[in-house]
Amino acid sequence: MRNSVKEIKTKFSTQGDFFIEEESYDKMSCYLIGFKTLIDLPKTKLYIQQMGESCTSKSALLGKLSEETNVNTEQLIKGILEGKLVIVTKDGKENAIVDPIVQNLNSSIGEPKNESPVHSSTDAFVEDINTNVGMLRKRLNTDRLCHCTYQVGELDKRRLSMLYINGKAPNDLVNKIHHQLNQIDSDIETIDDLNKRFEKRRLSPVSHFSATELPIQAIHSLKKNRIVLFMDNYPFALVFPNLILDMFSTENDRNFPFILTFMLRFFRVIGAVATVIFPALYVALVSVNPGIFRTDLALFVAKSREGIPLSAFLETIAMVVLVDLILEAIVRLPKSVGPAITMVGGIILGQAVVEANLVSNLLVIVITAVVIASSAVIGMQNSLYIRLLKYPILVLASLFGILGVFIGFIFTIIYLASLTSDDIPYLTLRFEHKGDTK
Amino acid sequence: MTHRIQVGMLFIIMHLSFSYLIYPDLIYRLTKTSHWEVILCQGLMQLILLWIYYKGLNYFPDKNVIEIYLKIGKWAAIIFLTPYVINLIAIVGFNLRLHAEVINDVFLPRTPYWSILILLFFISVYTAIKGLDTILRSSVIIFFIVIPLIFFNIFSSFTNFDLHSVSPVWDSPLKFLFNIKYFYLMGFSSFLILGFISSGANSNFCQIFAVFVSVVLFSLSAVYIPLFIFGQETVTTLAYPFLEAINSVDISWFIFNRQTMVFGISLVGLVILANAVLLWMSGHIMQKTYKWKTMEAAYWIILLSVIAFVVALVVPHQSLVEKFFLWSTGAQTYFMIIIPSFIFLYGSLSKGGLVGYDKK
Repeated sequence: MRNSVKEIKTKFSTQGDFFIEEESYDKMSCYLIGFKTLIDLPKTKLYIQQMGESCTSKSALLGKLSEETNVNTEQLIKGILEGKLVIVTKDGKENAIVDPIVQNLNSSIGEPKNESPVHSSTDAFVEDINTNVGMLRKRLNTDRLCHCTYQVGELDKRRLSMLYINGKAPNDLVNKIHHQLNQIDSDIETIDDLNKRFEKRRLSPVSHFSATELPIQAIHSLKKNRIVLFMDNYPFALVFPNLILDMFSTENDRNFPFILTFMLRFFRVIGAVATVIFPALYVALVSVNPGIFRTDLALFVAKSREGIPLSAFLETIAMVVLVDLILEAIVRLPKSVGPAITMVGGIILGQAVVEANLVSNLLVIVITAVVIASSAVIGMQNSLYIRLLKYPILVLASLFGILGVFIGFIFTIIYLASLTSDDIPYLTLRFEHKGDTK
Repeated sequence: MTHRIQVGMLFIIMHLSFSYLIYPDLIYRLTKTSHWEVILCQGLMQLILLWIYYKGLNYFPDKNVIEIYLKIGKWAAIIFLTPYVINLIAIVGFNLRLHAEVINDVFLPRTPYWSILILLFFISVYTAIKGLDTILRSSVIIFFIVIPLIFFNIFSSFTNFDLHSVSPVWDSPLKFLFNIKYFYLMGFSSFLILGFISSGANSNFCQIFAVFVSVVLFSLSAVYIPLFIFGQETVTTLAYPFLEAINSVDISWFIFNRQTMVFGISLVGLVILANAVLLWMSGHIMQKTYKWKTMEAAYWIILLSVIAFVVALVVPHQSLVEKFFLWSTGAQTYFMIIIPSFIFLYGSLSKGGLVGYDKK
């Protein structure tokens, strides 16, 4: 068995942080094998020494340190890659895979960075999958919370976890997802890779999952019969299925009195609808159907466009694209430079463009309203996709006016109504298919 | 949101889409006084047919019309349903052409009507291809957009009402029953759709009745609003009385110049959904009946819609479109009588053991 050490050594000869150290305790002398970057070696040595003092024999010590003793070389290599410490005795007859004292590579639990809940607890999920599941277990003390783990991928075995509440999530759905996750044979790097594993939606802007950073929201989804997935090293809970209401309602709203909750949600709906149709409505009313306004209003609109050389459609599309560019630029820039862009963007859009008579005052107001409205919905991915939906309607509006706006809107509704994930429609208002309690 | 509510909303939307353009005009030509008699009479007769249909379908739980006909034999499905598909295609074509021209008048008087026709066709076909579930789900949202707009139109038109326009209210002779136009009028319904959605969804006749009553109320409003505003003499001279009635309303605080815009918008929502359903029905029938080289329903829908589009495009002028549309609704009346009574008879006979239909 001594050659197993040799085999491991040749396998990892190219790794700079790989170590094989000879160590002798009073009962045995052995090799300690692992990665320096993953194992805190001095502390681990101390730990083994302390354990050794209370043991009488070699095999008793190994048995005490680990449950995986005397395994084959392949498993040893796997253990090393997973960040475990491998102990092989010098004669090569015995070995063990030990859970070492690890280098702390994880960030500690902090505040959410992509969502900003009001009136709510402020811890967010972290990279480590076990911490995330633990955060849920801590808040949800029930034996009905089920947890299945998967390791999927070709190059890198990525850990996935599926959580659901037994008796709430529909059984057939759980089985289906279990099956789908088990079938994954390629690497899962992003949510989109995972998305492709479910129903095909290659050109769809709507994901099968709604991602949340907040444990409260994840628990609420679990209680509402949905399934939560975690990916290792990804600080979000992925709630399946993604429903349209995730865009408008979060559990935190309900920390306010009902009427305020209703108000908040209503404003979000208005925000989403306004984002989708406002730019299109501007184009339609200004260029195609100016006659439908009352005379005074029509005159006001006409006056605001006096002397502007661009057509309404070009003017609007230029501004909408510019605003989307600014939004993207602010995300990309370091936090210290971001405000500068905001200021420059604001001045250019708000004043210079209007003073240069390139776009009308009215359009600047409309665009500002749209930017604010698109940020009112919950979740960055939702905000992005409703920002995308406005473009087709804008094009239809430039061709057909008000009719185009409305047909575009209906088309959007029909499109959203046609989306399903595992036969659960995206427009389901309440996900109520209860599973059998077993 | 249960399936049953969705079906109810779709039922209302489909009926409303028929009842705003030609329907009031037809009623004014049938009678000069007491128009409500005609509407109620038509409603009652449709309700009787609906009841027969409902009873017939109940003999075959969890089966739709096509499956029942296929059970009798493929010949029955081909003989009875193929003409119905042709009829549906004609209705889709003429209906869309009619609405395209009206929508054209309301929104874009300078745009050629065929571009709007293409747009309407495209969306209807897209919806039909996406299937019944999509149609049902979107019908809920469109219902909640369109119905408030229609109510807005109805209530805003109260400002122009003149109660003397409708007198006399009572007129007993039922002469209109023997007019061919009454036969056309009967076709302004699309309750046959209920048999194509698996019949388990509509198991309660009370609910169907409630939905039907609301449909009749909408029909009454569609007929009486122009009547209250213009009176019988004027109304018969107008091309689209309801449209003109809405156009006559002027509210000072409203930001739009014309109410017609609101009406036009609601009309678009109705017409897209209704025609999508008709296309879906015809595609579905063809696919199940012919099973030709595993051709999917989507291809049938595209094929049939192209035919409907060509039909809609070749008719040279509007009065001819109206005439053809009336003929096709007349033909639909024929199917509304034939299909329910046939299913009812077959069901009751097989129930008695004469045909030997095994209920399992």
